[in-house]
Amino acid sequence: MAKKLMKGCEAIGEAAVQAGCRLFFGYPITPQNEIPEYLSARLPQVGGTFVQAESEVAASNMLYGASGAGCRCLTSSSSPGISLMMEGVSYIAASELPVVIVNIMRGGPGLGGILPSQSDYLQATKGGGHGDYRCLVLAPSTVQEAADLVMDAFDLADKYRNPVLVLGDGLIGQMMEPVEFKRSTRLEDLPAKSWATTGCKGRERNIINSLYLDPEVLEAHNWKLVRKYEEMARTECRHEFWSPHGDADVLFVAYGSVARIAKTAIDALAEKGVKAALFRPITLFPFPGDALEKAAARVKHVLVSELSTGQMLEDVRFHLGKHRPVSFYGRVGGVIMTPDELVAEALKLAGKAG
Amino acid sequence: MSAPQPLRPNDYKTALKPVWCPGCGDFGVVATVYRALAQLRLPPEKVAILSGIGCSSRLPGYVAAYGFNGVHGRALPVATGLKASRPDLTVLVAGGDGDGVSIGAGHFQHAARRNVDVTYLLMDNQIYGLTKGQAAPTTPSGDKTKSTLYGNPDPPVDPCELALASGATFVARSFSSDMKGQVEILCAAIAHEGFAVVDVISPCVTFRGDDQYDFWKPKLRSLPADHDPSDRMAALRYCREREVLTTGILYREARPGLVARQQVTRAAAGYDPAQPPSVAALVHSFYP
Ligand SMILES: Cc1ncc(C[n+]2csc(CCOP(=O)(O)OP(=O)(O)O)c2C)c(N)n1
Ligand code: SF4
Repeated sequence: MAKKLMKGCEAIGEAAVQAGCRLFFGYPITPQNEIPEYLSARLPQVGGTFVQAESEVAASNMLYGASGAGCRCLTSSSSPGISLMMEGVSYIAASELPVVIVNIMRGGPGLGGILPSQSDYLQATKGGGHGDYRCLVLAPSTVQEAADLVMDAFDLADKYRNPVLVLGDGLIGQMMEPVEFKRSTRLEDLPAKSWATTGCKGRERNIINSLYLDPEVLEAHNWKLVRKYEEMARTECRHEFWSPHGDADVLFVAYGSVARIAKTAIDALAEKGVKAALFRPITLFPFPGDALEKAAARVKHVLVSELSTGQMLEDVRFHLGKHRPVSFYGRVGGVIMTPDELVAEALKLAGKAG
Repeated sequence: MSAPQPLRPNDYKTALKPVWCPGCGDFGVVATVYRALAQLRLPPEKVAILSGIGCSSRLPGYVAAYGFNGVHGRALPVATGLKASRPDLTVLVAGGDGDGVSIGAGHFQHAARRNVDVTYLLMDNQIYGLTKGQAAPTTPSGDKTKSTLYGNPDPPVDPCELALASGATFVARSFSSDMKGQVEILCAAIAHEGFAVVDVISPCVTFRGDDQYDFWKPKLRSLPADHDPSDRMAALRYCREREVLTTGILYREARPGLVARQQVTRAAAGYDPAQPPSVAALVHSFYP
């Protein structure tokens, strides 16, 4: 398929269609309205269904119903709406159903603002709703990668029977870049879902459930979920290591849009005689901790940068251990750091601040 | 000390300049709020205006009173909390149709059932304004919006019908540029004990079209003089109108509000406001 210039949100919508998603449930919220708007026009063209729910609570429960029936389905929202969806997400994770959720994050807490942010990292990666569960979390840093990861998200959701969250920020959602849809899933090629509630004629009944009143049974269920997350950690960790100027002194750790800013800063630093590299987690859960450890072993300084007050920072510190100093530079509230700010931070660390 | 000056509508204006689009119906609504408050001689410090999120929900910022611009769909629960803790305040709630009868629909029904003593100004533009033009639950079937390119497949809900069905004790409809009618209704709504719903049609000229006033004005009718506002069935006849839009107080019923009923509950529990139990006495009651 040829490259097309598309807004991030629209590319996410088209990627879902190409991945075989035929159902979307959502509620408008800035800055991601282009996802539901695109799909409200696009899904009927492919025999799909778009429902504007009465609220995000409703949308997440519509997703629960549709995924139980074995359909590829999607919802999208932005931070305050994602909080409301947590009821459905917890039940979906408990019932082991595959759904894809896109969060185009905006500044919070509360109503916050509508400008880009990465302040839902902890909510996304540590469960978000009640109970012991995790979503698999993918973090794109370009429009192309957003499209690719949305397609992967549907496969991963099916593979693990688990909610997959695509965590972007307002920059990714709103900017336009050339994008190519690298594959197109034919619904008939998707593996059958033997667990789905599709009518039990000729087989045992399938039951979708998250209620286990017997504590021993619930405990076993919880450990079963944990084994699934451990399997994800073994097989699904993804990251990018970018070190175009040779052995680096400073390692930036950043994801999403911030990683792009860090790349610009790294090139500028090279001109000032400071070698820097980037470690960019692509899966935020599972976190690519082993790879980070390796990358960090070769540098003098680690600098985490986020559009938050330091959320991924907790995971970085956990993986590098408390004896390893880790610096942090964050901007919040919808303010985005410039490459110059990151350059200045790195120069300070390298002892070359003017 | 000189005698307090009577309040004029302008005294309720704040320094904030509304950021609504030119021609937005919400300008008319806020002007009627100024006039109604002045007419009822309500001092600003005795009034609280709460809202959810939406273009319409900006209204509290433009009225000199206590204000709250809050959580999308949740203005009524927040107002219930406020009224329960400060029954002395006159509490108004303003917000859009999406805020009130989509995400907040459950709260709307329960505020009506509880007869919470607040006036609810539902600023009804039949669209989601702030998020730039998606269908609302009030958008007529067949209408094209940003989220219904092929025409809205769903039927709309009529907020007045919903209010009546949920047990609201005061239900009225008005049109935002009908100053006189809207001020009359608002004054009656604020004076009413319990939950008073005013569905004010307030055109969104940006996302419903700049011909909105030409569309609505020929449809406007006043309630006939012989309408009996205590007759719920008669009120229901003015819901789901298509060819005309009837404005006025559709329904009114006297029933104790939340605040009055709380007093009854306290009396049943043995509480006497003339002799409130002291904390020391309460603590002592736990000792043998
Ligand atoms: C939980 C949550 N979901 C979605 C939104 C985004 N949002 C803000 S206002 C609004 C609806 C606006 O429509 P309406 O309530 O009818 O008010 P109007 O702007 O038309 O006056 C939405 C969906 C939000 N702020 N919070
Ligand atoms: S978008 Fe519509 S509702 Fe919002 S201010 Fe403009 S005209 Fe009014």
